[in-house]
Amino acid sequence: MIVAERKPFEEIAEASAGFRRVLVAGCGTCVAVCLTGGEKEAGILAAQLDIAAQLNQREQAFEVGCVERQCDREFLDELAPQIEQADAVLSLACGAGIQFLAEKFPEVPVLAGVNTTFIGINDDVGVWQEKCRSCRDCVLTLTGGICPMSLCPKGMLNGPCGGSDDGKCETDPERDCAWALISARLERTGRLGGLEAIVPARDCRNALPGKQVHPAYERRYSAHE
Amino acid sequence: MSKLAQALDGGKFVLTVELDPPRGSDLKPLTELTSSLGGKADALVISDNRGAVARMSPVLACHHLIKHASAEVIMTLACRDRNRLALASEMLAAAAGGVENLLVVSGDFTTLGDQPGAQPVFDLDSVQTLQLAASLEEAAFFLGAVLAPDSTLMGMQALKLRKKVQAGAAFFITKPISNGEGLGALLAQAGGEAPRVLAGLELGPEEDPAWAVELARELKAQGQAAGVHLSCPENQARLPELAGQLAL
Repeated sequence: MIVAERKPFEEIAEASAGFRRVLVAGCGTCVAVCLTGGEKEAGILAAQLDIAAQLNQREQAFEVGCVERQCDREFLDELAPQIEQADAVLSLACGAGIQFLAEKFPEVPVLAGVNTTFIGINDDVGVWQEKCRSCRDCVLTLTGGICPMSLCPKGMLNGPCGGSDDGKCETDPERDCAWALISARLERTGRLGGLEAIVPARDCRNALPGKQVHPAYERRYSAHE
Repeated sequence: MSKLAQALDGGKFVLTVELDPPRGSDLKPLTELTSSLGGKADALVISDNRGAVARMSPVLACHHLIKHASAEVIMTLACRDRNRLALASEMLAAAAGGVENLLVVSGDFTTLGDQPGAQPVFDLDSVQTLQLAASLEEAAFFLGAVLAPDSTLMGMQALKLRKKVQAGAAFFITKPISNGEGLGALLAQAGGEAPRVLAGLELGPEEDPAWAVELARELKAQGQAAGVHLSCPENQARLPELAGQLAL
């Protein structure tokens, strides 16, 4: 899932101060699961903004809306009636959702209410951990299901750096060294031998903006159609 | 062939000394320190933004020391600050400036330095950077890399050693050690032909070097290392005196 954290309240209040009617738009999927931008959080934020506006004697009205996914065309359309009545939309979706909302509603100013943090997992109640950098060149088969691109700050592909100390990373004594985890995991599963070959440099052309078309739909979206 | 390679080939117990380029633009103190080291060291390792703290480029510092102090230098090149274009560019500049020995390191992570918000590059890792250096036809470097003998990940460090040798590393400098046990165990685990290793001996600003001298003698007597690499990062003015004691 995509994980996000709410921006500091002061930043949100300042960004929205110049608009009379603001739609606080939640998203019911990833950001709802990480307790950041779902319908409930949108409601709370709208109430807080309303109080702040009154305290600062600003004439503002905050309405709440929420759709299942702001990154999906058919769900996003549901916001249209509310957006028509708004001077600005404060989106609590991830960066993808905020951008898609901005693209679909080009006339209305869009404000970001969250910082998208990472693709990760729900480790425990209220705890999320980064697991994937979506690098488009997955090495998890080789590295025992533990990602060195995401979990090693240096993204080392050929083994640990010299800063690995007692299973911990040089950047933080609390942070596990990804290669210590990889080593232990591959040893347990008898697959350490797979690491002997040098992993070549990554092809960073995959840093260009991505677009993906499912093979079954290639004809539909090809230039000839 | 570089003088360092010749010394190692000739079986000399080599001493290298680590020096930082200046934090400013004045090269005079570094040149004077190099002169006062005289012939005590077989080569000077010129660091590259050590500790992720910005200093003068080692390319220029090395070029200057070669030209004005006739120094034998080992230029450090860190993967942290440059993508593969910039690494190749620096290698070519170094070669043009007379640098023959290159030490490839990953580099201390950016958050440990004085610009913690800097973009950490690590486009290539140390193994891939060695491959890049070895592939440059225009620059035939005597290539070195780093070993971490006291790591608890001995198997992984041995793997990395094998990969570095395969990628073209002809000598190694260890991270600071206090005894020869870890190095012996690492080399045994790595297997294959024993590489030429300079044992890293790091001294504190006022530390008595007796233990380091004793360890160097021990490593030499037992043939565990091809030499030692001396550093005193917090008090580099001491290096000429310390090098005098460690030149065996």
